[in-house]
Amino acid sequence: MSINRRNFIKSLAAASSVSLLTIPTSARAAGSGNNKGKVVVIGGGFGGSTAAKYIKMMDPAIDVTLIEPNKTYTSCPLSNEVLSGHRDIASLQTGYAGAAKRGISVIHDHVASVDAAKKTVTTSGGQTLGYDALVMAPGIAFDYEAVSGYSKDASKLLPHAYKAGEQTLLLKAQLEAMPDGGTFIISVPPKPFRCPPGPYERAAQVASYMKHHGKAKSKVLILDANDSFSKKGLFEQGWKALYPGMIEWVSGANDGKVERVDAAAKMCFTGLNDHKADVINLIPPHRAGKIAQQTGLTNAQGWCEVAPMTMESTVHKDIYPIGDCCIAGELPVYDMPKSAHMAITQAKVAAGAIVAKLNGLANPQPWYVNTCFSTLAPDYGISVVHVYRVTNNQFVYVKEAGGISPIDAPPLQRKLEAEYCVGWFNNVMADAFA
Amino acid sequence: MKRALLFCAALSAAPLIHAAEPDVAGLVKSCNNCHGVNGVSVGHSMPSIGGLSETYLLNIMTQWKTGERFSAVMGRLLKGYTDQEIAALATHYSKQPWVPAAQTLDVKLVAQGKDAIDRCSSCHGDTGVPDEDDTPRLTGQWAQYMELELAKYRDDALKMPHKKMRTNAKKLDEADVAAAAAHYASQKK
Repeated sequence: MSINRRNFIKSLAAASSVSLLTIPTSARAAGSGNNKGKVVVIGGGFGGSTAAKYIKMMDPAIDVTLIEPNKTYTSCPLSNEVLSGHRDIASLQTGYAGAAKRGISVIHDHVASVDAAKKTVTTSGGQTLGYDALVMAPGIAFDYEAVSGYSKDASKLLPHAYKAGEQTLLLKAQLEAMPDGGTFIISVPPKPFRCPPGPYERAAQVASYMKHHGKAKSKVLILDANDSFSKKGLFEQGWKALYPGMIEWVSGANDGKVERVDAAAKMCFTGLNDHKADVINLIPPHRAGKIAQQTGLTNAQGWCEVAPMTMESTVHKDIYPIGDCCIAGELPVYDMPKSAHMAITQAKVAAGAIVAKLNGLANPQPWYVNTCFSTLAPDYGISVVHVYRVTNNQFVYVKEAGGISPIDAPPLQRKLEAEYCVGWFNNVMADAFA
Repeated sequence: MKRALLFCAALSAAPLIHAAEPDVAGLVKSCNNCHGVNGVSVGHSMPSIGGLSETYLLNIMTQWKTGERFSAVMGRLLKGYTDQEIAALATHYSKQPWVPAAQTLDVKLVAQGKDAIDRCSSCHGDTGVPDEDDTPRLTGQWAQYMELELAKYRDDALKMPHKKMRTNAKKLDEADVAAAAAHYASQKK
């Protein structure tokens, strides 16, 4: 491959200093007919969409194809607010016009197979695309069989609502239909799962609905396979202040792990107890998305291990698993949390590594950061943030930085964080999809 | 123990590696998540930062890092970066063009704002263009963000620096907080 270093630097400068709207259409649309290389991105969520966009922004001469089955994307972040009624699901949705405008080819289809040796991707529709680099961002797959009696069909009766959209609305409809004094169970799978504080934020949003819609005698029961959870002290403080007596958490050690369900009877069975509920939100255990498993990228626990300098798979060269499907570092503190913020950050690292490689340049310094807000009420937000460095190819968090919101914070901090969460959401949606 | 050692290595090596000219091109991309591409935010509560003065940006980030100034989130993040990296970020964002926020404002509030900014204009100017480099530019900034900043200065529970700003913010009538923010948000230059 011939390298034109000057043009590459120019395009980098353009991407970082000039508004994208001012890059000539000819440059943005430069797609086929060049030899800079081809990138295929599987999955158009936060991670995949960001990777496609940033590769195109950094070097418009690279061919980028995004393969995503859905024409509308529904954000999981903030989707718990649909349950409380504080947010409409349409506010979480976007299409792929932004990607198309940048000159990214968007194919709405499933991926049937990846041939890592031949470096090709074949869609369900039978189209085969070659790649120089493949971004693998399929998100998660549910391990339905891990909970006896649960299945994809049963998820219509006991919604997981852990892929936002139809499932979110299904759970909301069940919440609206439940009687005052009823029980709403949230069953939390063993770690790791996407959005670690998600189930606990959900408990607050569900309680908020109950409190404000004539169901204040109802109860949220969290049956947890784990013995602790993200921002636990902050959540317990918030639950108590906002929804006293409405939310109960049962740890794994206290028989919280749901092992079996009877979907028709609305029953959950833990080791020692039977729980009857009006609504059961059954979140099954996760693994990396099916295509990542099928491509042989996953470890024994079902996740794609990556090299943190580049986000490249440790199994197959030139494949970059990003977002919820990947794992790096050691649990519990060094791992990459499965959040939208992290997925976007990983996408930018992968994009930088791919663009440098296709241009024959040295790998740029990777930067990782995570910010994760949870909203317990419209004026009550909390967060956890972490800054990471890559040292000797190890992914480590900077101990002096990051952490959770202070437990003794004044009320204004909680309000600020709730407002910043919305501002964060608007910016990440634009960063990934606009 | 091994982890702890790696950690020390990371922290002590970082300033050496980045002492000359930190490579913040990738770091800047991670700031986009909340502050938008080129520092142009589309979230009403998040400030646009592209085109603000280098002195102001460096000051405020340093105050957050040291804890001299309250922050809900930024301090926790900035403790993860070296002083050189923070300086490079300030330089980078100061060189971006300022793009006024695309926002819809209440016409009545904007009109009320003209009188509400009496206490603000001596430092921030009539249109939000300050005389001094260490004062933030307010012209066309997000109104909601400015209201929240005023709320921070008006709340004694938060540790905010700058006595003059605290005093003046507290003297504003409650009804004038949104009006003053709307006034500056409505300015084009």
